[in-house]
Amino acid sequence: MPVRYHHPAAAAATTTTVAALMKRHHPGLSWPQIQDGPMRVACHFCDTLQESPRLREGDAAYCCCCGRQLYRNRAHSLARAVSFSSAGLILMVIAHSFPFLSMKSGGLSTRLTLVETVFTFWGEGSPLLAVAVTFFTIFAPLVLLGGLLYISVPLRYGAAFPGSLTVACWFQRFEPWSMLEVFLLGILVSLLKLGHLAHVTYDTGLWALAGVVVCTSAAMAGIDRMELWDRLEIAQQPVTERAA
Amino acid sequence: MPEPAALQGFASCHTCGKVSVLSADPAAETARCPRCRTPLHLRKPYSLQRTWALLLAAGALYVPANLLPIMEVRGIQGAQNSTILSGVITFWQMGSYPVAIIIFTASVVIPLMKVAALVWLCLAAQGHTVSPPRALNRVYYITELLGRWSMVDVFVVAVLATMVKLGALMTITPGPAAVSFAGVVILTMFSAMSFDPRLIWDRHRESLLNSRNADPAVGDNAYGPEEKGISTPTLLHNPCDRLRLP
Ligand SMILES: [Zn+2]
Ligand SMILES: [Zn+2]
Repeated sequence: MPVRYHHPAAAAATTTTVAALMKRHHPGLSWPQIQDGPMRVACHFCDTLQESPRLREGDAAYCCCCGRQLYRNRAHSLARAVSFSSAGLILMVIAHSFPFLSMKSGGLSTRLTLVETVFTFWGEGSPLLAVAVTFFTIFAPLVLLGGLLYISVPLRYGAAFPGSLTVACWFQRFEPWSMLEVFLLGILVSLLKLGHLAHVTYDTGLWALAGVVVCTSAAMAGIDRMELWDRLEIAQQPVTERAA
Repeated sequence: MPEPAALQGFASCHTCGKVSVLSADPAAETARCPRCRTPLHLRKPYSLQRTWALLLAAGALYVPANLLPIMEVRGIQGAQNSTILSGVITFWQMGSYPVAIIIFTASVVIPLMKVAALVWLCLAAQGHTVSPPRALNRVYYITELLGRWSMVDVFVVAVLATMVKLGALMTITPGPAAVSFAGVVILTMFSAMSFDPRLIWDRHRESLLNSRNADPAVGDNAYGPEEKGISTPTLLHNPCDRLRLP
């Protein structure tokens, strides 16, 4: 039976002041939500409709039907997202400006950066591969970290930059395509392959690249999608409506 | 077994997860999520057709990816092509077992297992095979998690082709199989994304209902009472997350 769900508090929420909105954030207990009443969540695996109660820090809600995790209240998730994504972006600049491998064989030495890899591919007549490698190792990680930073910095103060919704949609879509960790494994495998042919040394870029991978996974593991979207929804509300 | 949101006229957004009312009439096809403006659907549209089509395309590309050379090594002894499998065999014979195992797992085992898993999931969602849905959930989760790691061979070719520019002594150029293998990985990833795991549970609920109707003597006791409306999730405390950042 399709019922439009309206909690009395939902109607009242539109008439509260900004101060009252801020009050909804109880330290240690969940994050602010658009309405005070109970919300609903549907499991992404089995589509079971469930109440979504507010959680204490560290607690998680699991689907009552299939047992998958629905959401979790992670401590300091926005602070983690801001710090790890900004650190990741700085490391990304370092990773691009220094070579990650250098190789000496005979009198010749080669130094390799990420961008050079792409250019070589393009020059050797495989533009498709060049585009794919650029997308997976340069563009997607940049969108992931940059997008997260763009959303989470103003969210810490309860605000949102213009276009935050679009950025949030895109950054979620790019997540599976950011393959820097796979690229790192690829570097290690080619090191093992080349080991007996030439003298290969690691450079600053490789450590920076590993740092980017660590920061990306830490930033993505720290944030809960539901919390991010709930906070964005409140921040997106026009100020006039909030204060009306 | 609790009722799904779709039967109660609710759709959850693919992007942000917000649950909103979606009526079943065709005009609702254009309904969008009030929070993030993503089009709302009860189930992913044409999920099984898309998954099958992308799987077939990936299977077709898998043939040239294995038969054609993935890289061409030109040295003093002349040109030498290596395919994915011949590369693995060479490294095994040379004694670099870690390289051989990584390449074999990423380029042969994972893509094949992924295609097999998706075929199994599609067949289960269409009702051709019966498997416990919780196990299928796990299969889907692992498939999505592991798929991207097969790209490692393409990256190895990329790094090698750039590194090995030992003057005129030796060059490595990527072969046609590198492009088709990248295609296989991308297509299987899209295929896994277009699959909707909720279809498996729809099928499971349907078969429970059918078996109950067919045998009224069994009654509700065999499958537990039918739960209508909203249920509450299980709340668990995770001690790991209590570790606070300073
Ligand atoms: Zn579930
Ligand atoms: Zn949405």
